[in-house]
Amino acid sequence: MKRFPRMTAAALVFTLLLSITGCGASDGKTHLTFQIWDVAQRDGMQAICDAYTAQHPEVEIEVQVTSWGEYWTKLEAAGESNTMPDIFWMHTDQILYYADFGILADVTDLYADEDPNYYQNHFSEISIGNASGSDGRMYGVPKDKDNIVLVYNKEMFDAAGVSYPTAEWTWDDLTDASQKIYDATGKYGYMAYNDEQLGYWNFVYQNGGYILDPETNIHAGYTQPATADAIKFYVNLQKNDWCPDQNYFAETSPGTSFFSGMGSMFLEGSWNLLSELQNFPDMVGDWDIAPLPKCPNPASGDGRGTISNGLCYSTAAKGKNLEIVKDVLRFFGSEEGQRIQGESGAAIPAYLGQEESWSTVFNSFDYVIDVQVCYDQFDNAVQYINNASRRKWKSTVADEMVKVYSGASDIDSALTRMQEIADSYVTAE
Amino acid sequence: MNKIKLSAAARREENWGWIMVAPTIIGLVILNLWPFVQTIYASFCEHLGFGHYKFIGLKNYGDMFGNAEFWKATWNTVYFCILTVPVGIILALFVAILLNAKVKFKGGFRTIFFLPLVCAPAAVAMVWRWIFNGEYGILNQILGQKIQWITDPKTAVIAVAIVSVWSSIGYDAVLLLAGLQNIPKTLYEANSIDGAGKVRQFFTITLPMVSPTMFSVLIMRLMASMKIYDLIYMMADETNPALTDMQSLMYLFYRSSFVAGDRGYGSAIVVWTVGLILLVTLIQFWGQKKWVTYDI
Repeated sequence: MKRFPRMTAAALVFTLLLSITGCGASDGKTHLTFQIWDVAQRDGMQAICDAYTAQHPEVEIEVQVTSWGEYWTKLEAAGESNTMPDIFWMHTDQILYYADFGILADVTDLYADEDPNYYQNHFSEISIGNASGSDGRMYGVPKDKDNIVLVYNKEMFDAAGVSYPTAEWTWDDLTDASQKIYDATGKYGYMAYNDEQLGYWNFVYQNGGYILDPETNIHAGYTQPATADAIKFYVNLQKNDWCPDQNYFAETSPGTSFFSGMGSMFLEGSWNLLSELQNFPDMVGDWDIAPLPKCPNPASGDGRGTISNGLCYSTAAKGKNLEIVKDVLRFFGSEEGQRIQGESGAAIPAYLGQEESWSTVFNSFDYVIDVQVCYDQFDNAVQYINNASRRKWKSTVADEMVKVYSGASDIDSALTRMQEIADSYVTAE
Repeated sequence: MNKIKLSAAARREENWGWIMVAPTIIGLVILNLWPFVQTIYASFCEHLGFGHYKFIGLKNYGDMFGNAEFWKATWNTVYFCILTVPVGIILALFVAILLNAKVKFKGGFRTIFFLPLVCAPAAVAMVWRWIFNGEYGILNQILGQKIQWITDPKTAVIAVAIVSVWSSIGYDAVLLLAGLQNIPKTLYEANSIDGAGKVRQFFTITLPMVSPTMFSVLIMRLMASMKIYDLIYMMADETNPALTDMQSLMYLFYRSSFVAGDRGYGSAIVVWTVGLILLVTLIQFWGQKKWVTYDI
């Protein structure tokens, strides 16, 4: 009897070991993982992978989706233990942290054989900026680009007898229309909620202000007059009857409010438009998009501006399959790879000249929204605000904005504190 | 351990004992003990990124104790415990007594009370968010009020407390029910022969007899309440004006460690919270002598 448990234990250990090694591929193919955070883009990403594996049958790529919140916690832990996915999306908020720490593979020379100036020839300066580390090297292949548009409810405009927003609209037109719609229909006008990218940042740059100074990208500009004026204008919009207050927005996002017919206008990112058409079929045809209203009397500039961000495809510097992955990335950044992404409707391709492939999927709806607005707005695009220290002060600065909205602090002292917080990291470095 | 000379056979048996418990112990050490030690070390460090730490002594603790937001979070946590623990346990005991009585559809009721525990906390929080919604929520529709439950600093913690109590009642009630069913029927019989009424029976028999179970429930509930995080995370957005009035220590830890990336500071908050829980638990073990009955 003594021998029996020992034999059993040995057998158990053996099967356990088998199951561990069993994870390795036995079909002779290279299995790659591709981690993304947006479930709406899964099919688009799968389509690109399929196109690649059709040409390279020895490679298999599995697309994995993790929610935005968990994505970064997981990716950071994976970076720490050198178990990162083979390919993953990188966001501008995070890229400097990863790139400057040497976690991401430098892909500057990815297309060196083909064209030494590949990135410069095929991607905008903003796209390249969003994929660069602090050292100016490329740590990702530009994937897509986006900007912010004004979404409006046509029925409410008709009901109030207000003509639809045009490219010539100013902030004054925005507030006038809001008032008229509110008076005529009782629905909210422009819903100005507490947000950076989808909120006050756009107004700041339209007014000629800045969050980070354009020359060095180091010093914050919260107390700079043009910036402060724009933020004040934006925050004070909530004092109008036609705009809900922040208590409302903390529970009901402007998008939810808009698509349940409670409000007539809000700022939306181009990346959300497709899923909003799909998720609210009853609303298709009732709404459209317009360029952001411009500042009527900017401190400098022409009063236009829209924040433009973009993602990139990255891989780990110490990846096991680095050479194969680089070949995959080369394809992802190629004209074909970008076109497939565009046609799938996933996002506007970063590749210059392929932007309009994104229209394909919109044309399948009964009512075609004016997606040309998104393409045209790239002429006034402002690169998404970021630098190496922003990651550390981002949430503290956002907390100050919350205090402004809750009435816990007045806007001037809040802006001063936001400036101090951001600047404290400049002197520290 | 006694220093008795063991025979060869006994020593073999002892070795087998160690081997048998080894998986659990190794698991505990790797998954619980080692991270705990690391957290304490991290609380004296600055996190440079990707698991690299630089020793900075007591700076995190200095920053922490000098931060009004931290003290606010500590108070929020304590306040949350005051709101949820006594009410939760009293309600759970009440439910347990009802479920212990001879009522129709007892099985059905037990299932209903236990249901919240089976639901995913995230789903629970989302549903309650809609119930509490200031503009369109069903609660305000019923009350005919316009209370900003989740965004008003005065009601935000209360709203979270209500959800917390609601979702924990079932589990606590089941534990208490088990305690109630262990009470010998003969005690009640003897008592009623002596002429005691229902109320008197409750205080002289039921309460003392169920007190050991109540003590375990109390300890567990208090620990869970001090570690409250998920409900707040789900119910409050980053832009909620009442966020600083409802954020608990664990939520502050999450924001410091994972949103701002300052894991050293986050670890200091964790160490503080563990200390607090330890203190409260010690007080309870000392206090139980006064009210928990272990023998008949």
